[in-house]
Amino acid sequence: MSSEVTGGSSLLKQIPRLAEKTEAFAVAFYDYATDCGWTIHADRWFHAASTIKIPVLLGVFGAIAEDRMTPNSRVHVRNRFRSVVDSEPFRVESGRDANSEVHDALGQTMNVEDLARHMIVTSSNLATNLLLEAVGLEQIQQTLRSLDVRGVELLRGVEDENAWEKGINNRVTANGLLDVCRLIAEEGAFGPELSQQMLDILHAQEFNSGIPAGLPKDARVAHKTGEISTVAHDAGIVYLPDREPYVLVVLTQWEAGAGGRHDTIAGISRAVYEYLTEDEDA
Amino acid sequence: MPESAALPLEVVDGQALDKKYRSILRPGELVADADGVTRRLPRFFYEVPSWEAAMDIRLAPHFRLAEFIGVDVREAEPMRIFPRYVPCGVSLLAAQLELFRQNVGTYVHITANGSYRSPAHALGTIISPHNWATAADIYRIGDDFLNKRPTLQRYAKIARELLPTCWIRPIGSEPGEADDHLHIDIGYATLVPREAAGEDEDTELLPSAQQAVTAGAETEEE
Repeated sequence: MSSEVTGGSSLLKQIPRLAEKTEAFAVAFYDYATDCGWTIHADRWFHAASTIKIPVLLGVFGAIAEDRMTPNSRVHVRNRFRSVVDSEPFRVESGRDANSEVHDALGQTMNVEDLARHMIVTSSNLATNLLLEAVGLEQIQQTLRSLDVRGVELLRGVEDENAWEKGINNRVTANGLLDVCRLIAEEGAFGPELSQQMLDILHAQEFNSGIPAGLPKDARVAHKTGEISTVAHDAGIVYLPDREPYVLVVLTQWEAGAGGRHDTIAGISRAVYEYLTEDEDA
Repeated sequence: MPESAALPLEVVDGQALDKKYRSILRPGELVADADGVTRRLPRFFYEVPSWEAAMDIRLAPHFRLAEFIGVDVREAEPMRIFPRYVPCGVSLLAAQLELFRQNVGTYVHITANGSYRSPAHALGTIISPHNWATAADIYRIGDDFLNKRPTLQRYAKIARELLPTCWIRPIGSEPGEADDHLHIDIGYATLVPREAAGEDEDTELLPSAQQAVTAGAETEEE
């Protein structure tokens, strides 16, 4: 597998070996301590899986920043959506969401902040589609455009099977997700207060078998994973004690049913961490 | 403003409200429904001072006012802030739902956005009885969620038999159908409480109506 590498270090030779079981991979990295970054295949497009929820989070907070809603605004919890392809109704299967809290609120309302938290922390697909509907797909797309986010294609809600069959999927590149994470980390989108709220939500992530699994226990990671049968991703901001944070995005594509996905992402995360801290220890 | 005789709520003439509310409620305005039939939006409203009041006030033994005014971020902002206004016809709906509630013998839950929606509600691109507060979308009855056809059919049958003057939305996923709630409405009914304000003072009564007013006054004196 050839690697189109921007930047340069022994780490960049190690990463392709760590990702050798994948069908394809991409990594994007930016370090606030050195103001340097590097990428591997970072403009290659991947099915976004649930990493698309970070751009959606950005879009929701964009709506808050524009006073079109507040974190406390109520949203009707209804499990019925329309496909972007043919307007056929579809529902989100409750079994696919990690917890049932949003599904338990059917018919009632939940506030925007709680839905955003469920969308990220337990990757609730129902919460994601509710927020997409409440804010509006086009509005979120517009927010991403206004922030000059490239490498993110948000085209539809989650579990829109008719769209999937037509090949209409949300897609990301490693560079695209790196830009989104940096906007949040640098408070560059909507100011410090809303950025901190987004970071708090990302810090509460409960799926930690990717980037965090390659790090020491005192590392804090504001991140979002994404996984379907053929891809496994993780993107986030890594906070180590006594060090400026860094942003790491790892996107991987796999043969359906292939194992070792989380280990591969954790391995790349570990390699990045060791490279950074070895450099600093030397 | 006069308080309703039966409810601890003030009855307000929507046409006398501030412009901020009038532009949203459009009281008495002529509009067209989904079939292009012209309807006149309600003019008289209950003024609901607070969420606590909405929770305290019962429109029927098993229905609190709050259940009819639950909305989300898609409702126009002034209609999400108290005081809020709900057409007086809501009490007619509550009476019908109470009959239904007593027959099914368990809780009847109305969805958020499922009863009164102002004409400015983002879901209200088509005028419907929801704008009269005379429609209810029910998502759950007791422990039964109404998102499966057999359950919906069972309760729709009960509603049709029990409430023959009501309209029950057909079950299905096509436009005009419902597959995740039971829609019951009593049509474009308005209610003008006795304590509501009269028509404009410069409106001239026909001679026959004038006679009726005089006769009515004499009757009351007796």
